[in-house]
Amino acid sequence: MRLFLQELVTGITTGALYGLVALGFSMVYGVLKLLNFAHGDLYMVGAYIGFFVIQWFGGAAHVNIPVPLLLVIMFVLAAVLVGGLGVAMERFAYRPLRDAGRIAPLITAIGISFFLENSALLLFGSQFREYNTPEFISLSSGIQVGLVTIDSVQIMVIVLALALMLGLRLVVNRTRLGRQMRAVAGDREAAEMLGINVNFTIAATFFLGAALAGMAGVMAGLLFNQVTNTIGFIAGLKAFTAAVVGGIGSLPGAVLGGFVIGLAEAFITGYVSSTYTNLLVFGLLIVVMLARPSGLLGRAQLQKV
Amino acid sequence: MKGRLIIAVAALGSLAVAGCASSSSGSSTSSAGGGGSSSAAATACNTSIGFMGPITGPAAPVGGDQLHFAELAVQTDNAANHTNIKLVQGDTQLNPAQATTVSQEFISNTSIVGVIGPAGSQEVKAVGPAMGRAGLTFISGSATNPTLTTGPNPTFFRVVSKDSVQGPQDANYIINNLHPKAIMIVDDQEVYSTGLVSSMIPVFQQAGIKVDHESVSQKTTDFSALVAKVTSQTSVVVLPWQLAVNAQQFGRDLQQQHKSAVIFGTDGLFDPKSFTISGSYVSTFGPDITGIPADAAIVAEATSKYGAFSTFGPPTFAATHVMDEAISSVCKAGQTPSRSNVLAAVKSTNEATSILGQPITFDANGDMVNAKFFLFKIDSAGKYHLIPS
Repeated sequence: MRLFLQELVTGITTGALYGLVALGFSMVYGVLKLLNFAHGDLYMVGAYIGFFVIQWFGGAAHVNIPVPLLLVIMFVLAAVLVGGLGVAMERFAYRPLRDAGRIAPLITAIGISFFLENSALLLFGSQFREYNTPEFISLSSGIQVGLVTIDSVQIMVIVLALALMLGLRLVVNRTRLGRQMRAVAGDREAAEMLGINVNFTIAATFFLGAALAGMAGVMAGLLFNQVTNTIGFIAGLKAFTAAVVGGIGSLPGAVLGGFVIGLAEAFITGYVSSTYTNLLVFGLLIVVMLARPSGLLGRAQLQKV
Repeated sequence: MKGRLIIAVAALGSLAVAGCASSSSGSSTSSAGGGGSSSAAATACNTSIGFMGPITGPAAPVGGDQLHFAELAVQTDNAANHTNIKLVQGDTQLNPAQATTVSQEFISNTSIVGVIGPAGSQEVKAVGPAMGRAGLTFISGSATNPTLTTGPNPTFFRVVSKDSVQGPQDANYIINNLHPKAIMIVDDQEVYSTGLVSSMIPVFQQAGIKVDHESVSQKTTDFSALVAKVTSQTSVVVLPWQLAVNAQQFGRDLQQQHKSAVIFGTDGLFDPKSFTISGSYVSTFGPDITGIPADAAIVAEATSKYGAFSTFGPPTFAATHVMDEAISSVCKAGQTPSRSNVLAAVKSTNEATSILGQPITFDANGDMVNAKFFLFKIDSAGKYHLIPS
């Protein structure tokens, strides 16, 4: 029972992270039909921003402001700066290629991924940067659920990730910007004819998706303690998989896909063996895709013939 | 159909990015000189030796220590032997491709009669055959893979032990001193790690210990699902890994889940800056020379010049000293140092004592005779303490 609960907590925590990154992937695909392979690198940039904020305020062992305030600054700064980077990426790399078919923006996305990864290498070096979270948030703080302790960082990550997912759902379903995003995703030309500022809407989509990835990067830093210039690749790959499994373009699907992968990884590691985790997780995903090619919550596209 | 095509192209793209991620090693800062001929005069004993190590990149702390101790040895030996040996630096970044580039520069530089390094076994494998063809002697202070001295690298020597010694030695220590009923052993899917695991598991099984063999990628950063599998009977988790930050995170996950198992790491985890989990054990091929009275002068000079140092430095001092003495003996015999006579002199090395606290001689394969591993325990302040053998 203890193993089950522990793997459940682990699966939910990592699943929430995957889901958060997958949301940005899915949003951009929904609006532009673009697979933004640089999305994982935005997560990496967010993780670096969190690290430098900690250093700025005295370092992990000597944080000189209240820890809750430090966390707020880390998340807000990561969201704003990475969101801004997402907007810049759209403005200078993707917008000129908006009508150039699907392959050119895809190759550009890979190029941006290389660019961000290598820029981080040049700027910050290739050594691991460590958050050292236990230095300012005690591992013993948290709650006891049965035989399992859920520490305060895990609680914060789960609660914040779920709040951000719900917040995004509200923005998309209940606000003017959300309506515009859905209109642009449905038919960009028709939306433009109806007076919607398409450029602004797409930029806002990039901002929101990138901001979520940036905050996910800070959460990963707090949970796993280490940042390098290459951490975005694995995160991006897992998020892309989550988005596809959930049904790419579907926001609830991205969240569901994230949790499916996170939980599958945790339970396979716990009950089978870590040796087979990737093999079985991706085998399971192939089965899901064969059974539902458009993903768990994706809708099959109708085409005129 | 179109959508599937896009997904397929995307998958190919992700593989391309993966390739980038795994090979982004940055640029070389090798300062290996070019050209030059062997103009050394026997009486003056002027010559050059190369240094190959990860001066930059993720393993820079290792390469930095190795370079410092190589420089210290050259300076000390030049003064003692009245030689004029110059050290030419080459940065390998612990990357076999980069090591190959540096080795080609050294091979084409005819003033270089011997090389110190490289640091990693994978680098030795990459450069060994070419160095052998060039007759260029190279001595490593940290490459421990057993296969390096089984034939393909005829001019290779090392002043450290090998993993086929480390694995069983560590396993026997665990069995005889920690008395576990069950252990978990986790490889990181790299040659270094899987080799050590293969040499340790049979020893545990012979002793009747239950073994849970797990495997995670070196790129994994979340170990909580794996740590959940550590049972109350599992009192030792063996991590033959190369990334100390990963072991640190594994240890934090153990603490977070209130697991009492201790971590036992191999030499790849010997990093007092990054791996500080209290109660853990780490084995390494270099002794703690601060505890060897005869090394007091070297310790004082190294500390005053470079500050604190790890156990990676002293073996490189020993390797450089072997090379310096070989060159000096050639000069004393009235010859001009060349690659062939330096190779012969290194082969006949017979040092009664060394910085490592033991004699240095080589067997026919280039392995140091009676080389061993040293074991350290980490205290609650994160400090490493040598366990007397």
